[in-house]
Amino acid sequence: MGPTGNPNQEVELLSECISLVANALDKQAFTTLFDHYAPLIRAYSLAQEPGADLVADELVQEVMIRVWLKAKSYNPCLSNINTWLFRLARNCRIDYLRRNGRFASGIDPTEIFNQIEDDSPSPFLLASQSRLQDDIRTGLENLPQEQAQILNKVYLEGKTHREVSAELRLPLGTVKSRVRLALKKMQCLIAR
Amino acid sequence: MIRNHPGDELLSSYSAGSLPLGQALCVSIHSEFCTNCRKKLKRFSQVGGELMLRLNRATVSLDLKNTILNKIDEDSDSLERDHQDMSYSGKNKVSNVRSGAGESSVPRGLRQFVKSDYQEMPWRRVAKSIHNIELFKDDENTKVEILKIKSGGSVTTHFHLGDEYTVILEGSFSDEDGLYQQGDFLVRNSWDEHTPVATQDRDCICLAVSEAPLQFAGFFKRLLNPLIRLSYSQN
Repeated sequence: MGPTGNPNQEVELLSECISLVANALDKQAFTTLFDHYAPLIRAYSLAQEPGADLVADELVQEVMIRVWLKAKSYNPCLSNINTWLFRLARNCRIDYLRRNGRFASGIDPTEIFNQIEDDSPSPFLLASQSRLQDDIRTGLENLPQEQAQILNKVYLEGKTHREVSAELRLPLGTVKSRVRLALKKMQCLIAR
Repeated sequence: MIRNHPGDELLSSYSAGSLPLGQALCVSIHSEFCTNCRKKLKRFSQVGGELMLRLNRATVSLDLKNTILNKIDEDSDSLERDHQDMSYSGKNKVSNVRSGAGESSVPRGLRQFVKSDYQEMPWRRVAKSIHNIELFKDDENTKVEILKIKSGGSVTTHFHLGDEYTVILEGSFSDEDGLYQQGDFLVRNSWDEHTPVATQDRDCICLAVSEAPLQFAGFFKRLLNPLIRLSYSQN
């Protein structure tokens, strides 16, 4: 685990670091963020392209520089810091694929994937957010292996359902229903 | 009132960044119209954040760390300027909300293709009451286009050779299953047979993504699908 071992304290500590970077360009705080997130970003890149060390290093650099530059746009009331980091990493990875010709030319895929998510502030938002986070965490811990495996392929390896279905030799419908079951288990489908 | 939404498995793939581009565009545009799906996207990104935390951390070389720290040090001045520029205080959020009087009626997610007005686009006639603008080909088999169905006009009964995704941008249309309005998201699977008809009051403009599996290409495809036949015969 990270700096403290307790996930909620960890989120608090890291959020504090982000605000120090945002408000005081604090390099010490940035180093703390780096030590925590860089190995995860690197692992995220390697999950999609095992063995591609240079690509992974490049992604770490892209994402961490953006953390430095965009710290001010992070609003702890609107999203969890891990979610924010994940979105940055996801967008950088998509952008990397674009620059390397993985998408049809002339299209900016980051524009397409960068749909702003719900951002309406509500007095209960923080509370419901951390409750959801606990649910997701507990849900993930108790997920049957067959569902966890598919979530990992979709989220971390960046595979389409069709690719997952071909790789695991499962019908497409089974892949989709396992994703739905997993989301349900994590209480992600309950309106709050 | 939007009644037709993308399934949770599509929304989560979108959040994961792993949805094919054409489908992702449909999900993105639908979500601009739909608060509920935006809420879901946020939860599904949170899943991504948690999954990333669970990865086995990969060692980062001291070299890489120093390079990045130096970069921040060296470029401190210029980076600081960017820092100011990039701290958009909700700029994105505002431009994303689809209301603003006088603002373009084109969803933000489509503006890399349609700057301000559908009418100014180079529409191409593909059938009696149908015009299209092809946006891009997602890969060799998937076509992403905007379709305009003239008010009261219908699309000839057609089969799909792969899945077809549609989001209504303006106007409305109905088919055997019901009435669809602005923001509605529809998926039709291969071999679903249907006849969409635009309502009488105005033209219907929609985003359409159609997959056409390669194995159906050629004579067989042209024979089966009048719409595809028309649009391909003019290429």
